Amino acid sequence: MQIQADMKMAEIIHLNYHLLPIISRFGINLGFGDKSVEQICKDYSIDENFFLEIVNSFHLKNYFPKKNLQGFPLKLIIDYLRKSHDHYLHIKIPRIAALLSQLSQYTPPSMTGTLKLIDTFFNGYRNELTNHIQREEDKVYPYVFAVEQVFISKKPNNDIVGKIRGYSIEDFKMEHDNIEDKLFDLKNLLIKYLPEPVDADLSHSILVELFRLESDISDHTRIENKVLVPKVSYMEKWILAHFKP
Amino acid sequence: MDPSAFQTLNSMESIDIVVAENCQLMRTGLKYLLHQLSSPVVVREISKPEKLISYAQKDGRSLLFISDCFLTTCPENVVRTLAGNSRYAAIVLISSRGIPLDTDLNFDAEITPSDNEKTICQKMEAVVQQTSKIKHVIRSNEGISEREKEVLTLVARGLTNKEIAEKLFISSHTVITHRKNITAKLGIKTIAGLTVYAVINNLIPAEEIK
Repeated sequence: MQIQADMKMAEIIHLNYHLLPIISRFGINLGFGDKSVEQICKDYSIDENFFLEIVNSFHLKNYFPKKNLQGFPLKLIIDYLRKSHDHYLHIKIPRIAALLSQLSQYTPPSMTGTLKLIDTFFNGYRNELTNHIQREEDKVYPYVFAVEQVFISKKPNNDIVGKIRGYSIEDFKMEHDNIEDKLFDLKNLLIKYLPEPVDADLSHSILVELFRLESDISDHTRIENKVLVPKVSYMEKWILAHFKP
Repeated sequence: MDPSAFQTLNSMESIDIVVAENCQLMRTGLKYLLHQLSSPVVVREISKPEKLISYAQKDGRSLLFISDCFLTTCPENVVRTLAGNSRYAAIVLISSRGIPLDTDLNFDAEITPSDNEKTICQKMEAVVQQTSKIKHVIRSNEGISEREKEVLTLVARGLTNKEIAEKLFISSHTVITHRKNITAKLGIKTIAGLTVYAVINNLIPAEEIK
């Protein structure tokens, strides 16, 4: 069922609780009462259509109206992407790290070596993710805003053309390292290859967190590749075509 | 894979042995002899037939020493379960009566009343050695071939495709094919992940990982 503006916010959470982190990324707190999506968006000064497109693209597997999403200003899209970055780095990853360290506390000494390996592996993933996000925030987003500015002003200049020729958004997409691979491996190491039983409850919690993080990141990447990249690419092409040196 | 790695692996792990026998004196004697074996053993005694199934460890690596007297007290369904699947890596019959048994069970060895201490120990040792081999198969048979295992070990050690190709006298293309198959079979994509797998499965020592 597609989420509509006149539905109650509480109803949406009952419909799909996986939307909770998405809603919090928009800064919306619990305690909605009987307010509709429309009212809540108004209260928080959120672009209602943008909100609907994002929640629906997370909620419905096959719903991806990239044309609509592409119509929104870049700032909205990037603000959203930044908030999900924060969510990964400051909430999700520390939580998984804490669960993993709990796991090492409650396992037999014979497993210490293996868990240490898994810990090191997770730290490797954590660094990779952090670097990836850092690069996007420090390099890619400022570039994207610069392109948008020139596009809006309709005055292509030497500087931006040089930047586009040096590093276009397609290059970003190309080198978009697959940060999901390590996450995938970590799941399988826990599911398939732990040599001895560890605290079952704890390892299940870790796996659930990993699965959720994985699906969240994959939706996030989808928005980058299907919305951000085509939108920026379109503006780049326009700029290059209209540049008169 | 380095064969000495297997030996270290075996000597570190103790062998789980279940002794099924009604007579206390026999159990104690068996236990004494089992502890003379070259490998460390953990002996668990049972005197009730229904325990036969539940005492077998889930990984199918336990050994069962069962006497003919005990076997005759077992209900048919228990014997059928024992015969039907590989709950035990090996079953050794202690035939105290020395008469042939009418049973579907296959025994990996038989200890008879006429055996002296030396013979008994040799028989036990042979069974233990044989099941250690099974253990290797169980451990190593995760679907990847010996050649793939070699490639995996080198990948985990940080060698490039080209270096691996040179070392194994195969083309880089073949190395890539092996790597694709390894990833598909194990469900592990990254080098770091393969390294963890290799250490957990004793393909490379943990000390090699920095």
